[in-house]
This record gives sequence, C-alpha cells and structure tokens, in this order.
Amino acid sequence: MARLRYADAITSALREEMLADDRVFIAGEEVGQYLGTLGVTSGFLKEFGPMRVVDTPISEVGILGLGIGSAMAGLRPVCEMMRMDFAMVAYDQVINHAAKIRYMFGGQFKVPMVIRGPSGVGRQLSAQHSQSLEVLFAHVPGLKVVMPATPADMKGLLKTAMRDDNPVIVMEALRLYFEKPDVLDAILPGLSEVPDDPDFTVPFGKANVLRAGTDVTLIGYSTMTIQCLKAANILAQEGISAEVVDLRTLLPLDMATPIASIKKTHRAVVVQEQWGLYGCAAEISAQIAERAFYDLDAPVQRVTGAFVPMPFARNLENISFPSEHDIVIAAKRTLGR
Amino acid sequence: MAKKPTLDLTKYVRFYEQMVYIREFEELIGKEWNNAAAHGMGGYMHLYSGEEAIAVGLIGGMDLAAGDCFIGHYRDHGYALAAGSDPGEVMAEICGKATGCSKGKGGSMHICDAARGFYGGYGIVGGNVPIALGLGWALKYRNQKNVCACFFGDGSMNQGAFHETLNMAQLYKVPVIFALENNGYAMGTSIERSHANQNLRSRVDSFAMRSVTINGQDIFEVHEQMAQIIQEMKEDPHPVFVEFKTYRYHGHGAADTPVTQSTYRTRDEVARAKDQLDPIKFAQEKLLELGVLTDELIADMQARAYASAEAAMKFSDDSPYPDPSELIKDVYA
Repeated sequence: MARLRYADAITSALREEMLADDRVFIAGEEVGQYLGTLGVTSGFLKEFGPMRVVDTPISEVGILGLGIGSAMAGLRPVCEMMRMDFAMVAYDQVINHAAKIRYMFGGQFKVPMVIRGPSGVGRQLSAQHSQSLEVLFAHVPGLKVVMPATPADMKGLLKTAMRDDNPVIVMEALRLYFEKPDVLDAILPGLSEVPDDPDFTVPFGKANVLRAGTDVTLIGYSTMTIQCLKAANILAQEGISAEVVDLRTLLPLDMATPIASIKKTHRAVVVQEQWGLYGCAAEISAQIAERAFYDLDAPVQRVTGAFVPMPFARNLENISFPSEHDIVIAAKRTLGR
Repeated sequence: MAKKPTLDLTKYVRFYEQMVYIREFEELIGKEWNNAAAHGMGGYMHLYSGEEAIAVGLIGGMDLAAGDCFIGHYRDHGYALAAGSDPGEVMAEICGKATGCSKGKGGSMHICDAARGFYGGYGIVGGNVPIALGLGWALKYRNQKNVCACFFGDGSMNQGAFHETLNMAQLYKVPVIFALENNGYAMGTSIERSHANQNLRSRVDSFAMRSVTINGQDIFEVHEQMAQIIQEMKEDPHPVFVEFKTYRYHGHGAADTPVTQSTYRTRDEVARAKDQLDPIKFAQEKLLELGVLTDELIADMQARAYASAEAAMKFSDDSPYPDPSELIKDVYA
C-alpha cells in the first residue's frame, strides 16, 4: 500500500497503462513540454516521446476529433481537457459523435477513448473554470461517466477507463488533487491508501460503502463523498450512525448498493456539488422513491450547490457548495432532529 | 487527357460503369421516394447525382485492402458503392432494414463499411472533419504507408471544427486528404451568401497546407491527380486540401423540393449543369472518342446498373425490419 495524493494516483494510472499498452497516447494542452498544467504528466514527454504525449493547440474540437478517429482506428487515446469546462467547446464531438458512433453504425465500430480532466469547484477559479458538469454527460447513452472520490478509486477507475472499449468521461475533482494523505486519513483512516499491484483496478458500476452505519445513508460522489465522510464524523459525535455510500461512477449507475443501505437505515441524504435542478441527486432520489419507497421512514433529502454561476470571492465560493454541516442538518432532518 | 499514353483505359471504363451504377442507384431512390414509406424510407435523403466522379476517382485511387481509409458526410451512398460495398446492404440501410450495413439504426446518413475502410457518413456538418484527423493520426502512429480521405462540403468550411482540424493536421503532418466537394450551396445558402472569401481554396492558405483545385466533373482529372497525390503522401506523409468543383442535381435533401429550391437556384441553372457539367456524359464522350466504349456497351452497362439498383431495392424490400430487441443493443461495446 502506498499513501498517495489524488493527483499522484492519476499520474500512476496513466503511466502504468502507457507502459503496458503502446496503443495508449495522451493528447492535450500543455501535457508535454510544459509538464502538465497540474503536473500529472510531468516527465511523460521525455519518457514516452512526442507521438505518445501530444502537445496540442488550444483546440478542444481538434483534440477530441484526434481521439475519436484514432480510437475508431484501434488506438486508445486519453484526451486531456485542461478543465472539463473546456469540453463544452467540443460538446458536439462528445455527444453527437463519440457517444453515437457505435449505435448509429450498428456496432461496426468502437470508440475506446478517455476524456479526462479536472472538474468542479476549485479555489477562486470563478464561473468558467469551476463547473461540475457531469449531468450533461451522464444524460447521454453511449458514454460512461466516472467521478472518483479517493486516490485508490482515482487510480483504479482511471485504469478501468483506459481499458474500456467505450468513450469514458473521467471527471477528476480539482479540489481533491493535492489534498495531503495525512488530511485524508484524518477524515477516514486509510483513505489515502492505494494498492501497489499494477493490476489493481476498480470496476465500473459498483458503489462503495466507505463507512458503515445504521441510522441514515449519506450518498455522494467525488468531492461530496469526502463531505459525507466529514459529516458522518460530526454525526457520530452526536450519537448518530451514518453510512456513507460513494457512487464512484454515474454511468453506469449502481443503485443496488445505496438501496441495500437504505433498507437498513430507512433514511437517505443525496449530495451533489453543484446545481440540483434536474441533477444527479434528483435522479438518484427518484430511483430511491421508485424502488425503496416503503423502506423509507422519512422523505429523501437532497443537498446541492447554489443555483448560481460560481462566484469569485472566497467567502461566496465557500458557501456555494454543500458543506459537511449542510449534510449534517439534512441527516438530522431525516431523523426528526 | 487523351494524349497521355499512360492512361489505363480499362480502369476508366470501370470507373465509368461505377458512376453509372451510383447514378442509377440514386435515381431509383429519387423515383421511389414517392412511395417512400412502403420501402421503409423516411427522414432525410441526400442524393449524390452529379458528384459521382469525385467518389469514384478518389476512392478508386486508394488501396482500401492495404489500409487506406475514408470518412464521409450524410450524402454518403456513393462513397460506399464506389468502395465496393454491397448495394443491397446499402439500400437496406437506407430503408431501415435489419440487413442494412448499420443494422437499420443509422439510415441514409450513416452508411459505413468497416471492412472496406469506410468510417461512416455523419450528419453534423463539419463534425466528421476532426475525426479524420484521428484516423490520419492512427496511420502515422503505426508508421503505415496509407492515406485517409475526408469528404465534406462547402458548408463545413464555415464550421470552427474545420479550421481547428486543418491547423492540427498540418502541424502533425498527418496523411489526410481533405476533399472539399464544392457544389456551390450549403443547403440553400450559396457560397456568395456564406463565405466572405469565395475563393475557398485560398481560405486554407493560412495553414500553409498543400492544396489543389480539381474539376470534380472530370473523372480523368480527378483520378490522375489524386493517384499522383496519394503516391506522394505515402512516400512523405502530409495533408492535402483538394477543392473539387462540382454540382448537385437534386435538392439538398428530399425535403428540398422544387419549390424550396426555387428560393436559391433556377431550373435553368440545374438544366444547364446537367447538360454541360455531367460527369457521366463527360466520361462517356471521352471514352467513345478513345474507342474503348461503344453505344452498345453503354446501353448494356446502363441496363445492368438499373437492374443492380432494382435488385438492391428488392433485397431491401424482402428484408425484415430490425427486431425490437435491437433497440437497446450496440449502445456500448
């Protein structure tokens, strides 16, 4: 076991898969000579050369076209979006092309590519660099959407993504990138631990119970899983036992695990970093209502971010997304407290 | 061109025949459109009549069996036929049948043939162009001595995707032929009304990319020039932009009726093009002049082409619609 930061887990997954499979290459802005905007591909250009670590112009449509075409032709591209917000520039390539190609050509082609990059709220990056746009991808058949919360899942899910035969959107939590292992382990012992085995992977569509509990189920993904764990710590001090379920992947979505938990706790809080309206928390709440209504002792609670573009001012930014305290309040509400 | 002693006339007779096959295929669809629902046809229908020499001459210059490949847009029936795809499977796709090349899930706009290097027809104007960059990149990545051709129309050149792609293609020296089929109209909008600079070829000069303009109605010019360019691209990988000047006989799609067409072009203009710019007529006259075609041979080819199109339609008509279980298949690999 190694204790890694989230960003180190990304580097480790990319490097191991590039060593294992020479069809894998990385393309993106500043991934090579600049050593990666956030350093995750530092040293890659020197190690793998310019055909496998491709510095691109600021042309997201071109980057994704490069990925889609080469994937159809049998390579396994990893397209880096410097920020997932920038994928919006090339949304057509993702939605109208990558996601559709297998189906509309009757299965004649596959598109084994990864589109990855930092996502979600950062630190004072404001409206155009802080969005968590997973809903826009998870709504579309043909895509897979991965949102890891822990360094181990970041590594294991990214490796699975790179071995998958479909277009996979890997949305990395910028806010977790450089969180120190000590800080993570203080939230939950062992949270920063990543297996050393190069064959370690994490399958898609299998949610993870990170903390067992009996009174209420807290359901999150990405940064919100960490917030749920913090909330569970606070609730424990008040004698409330919260179970934390990390969804890991939104598409495919594992509802069996959260529903099994709800059958035990009879209460659920679903947490999403940003806009709740028509969001993932809404979808999960609806599925709980359809499949576990009679197991519930209280209405499902949603905790979501403010329905505003991300503000710049630090104090406003800090109150724009769910805090552990917001989750604690929602959990208590399900318990009538 | 007749003075060139190296011209492989047997090949051009074959090209002529292919053009006739495509024309008869498209014209049969045009005719049967009146009875579309009975065949399973619907939605959009973009016919290639008038532009045949481009697909036949260019695809005919590639070695698909050895790994050359191509990608198209939604006016895509002709590409598949030029590549040798089974006409029955193409027609069945156009009619949404289970035996179609895309299992009836793509329709007219999404014909493909992976075995022949046809990476498909796409419905978003300009959206296929970035994918060609990736196809070319894969050839270069594997050090293959191959080329990829990307067909698109003049409308695509006003999409940002086109400009991002050409810049990167030249930057990375990928072996992609960017084949502009300039038929003068992006749906109902003429070049004059949509391009600030109407010299379309000059628009790519800013990328420092090799470019050439070819009369897309002249199969001899299309093929001789493309064969030479492809050979050079295989020796030294680089992209090339080719402007094929051409003309489409039918409306943009089936919904572009004579009435809607009257908003952007006259019947006289279409009649003049059919009379003076027809690629089949042009090839026919040359080949007759060169003595390798006879009126008898022409009549025979046309009869066989018509019969082939009819047989394709019959194959489609006799084919079942996709099983309902197909609805949810092939979303993921």
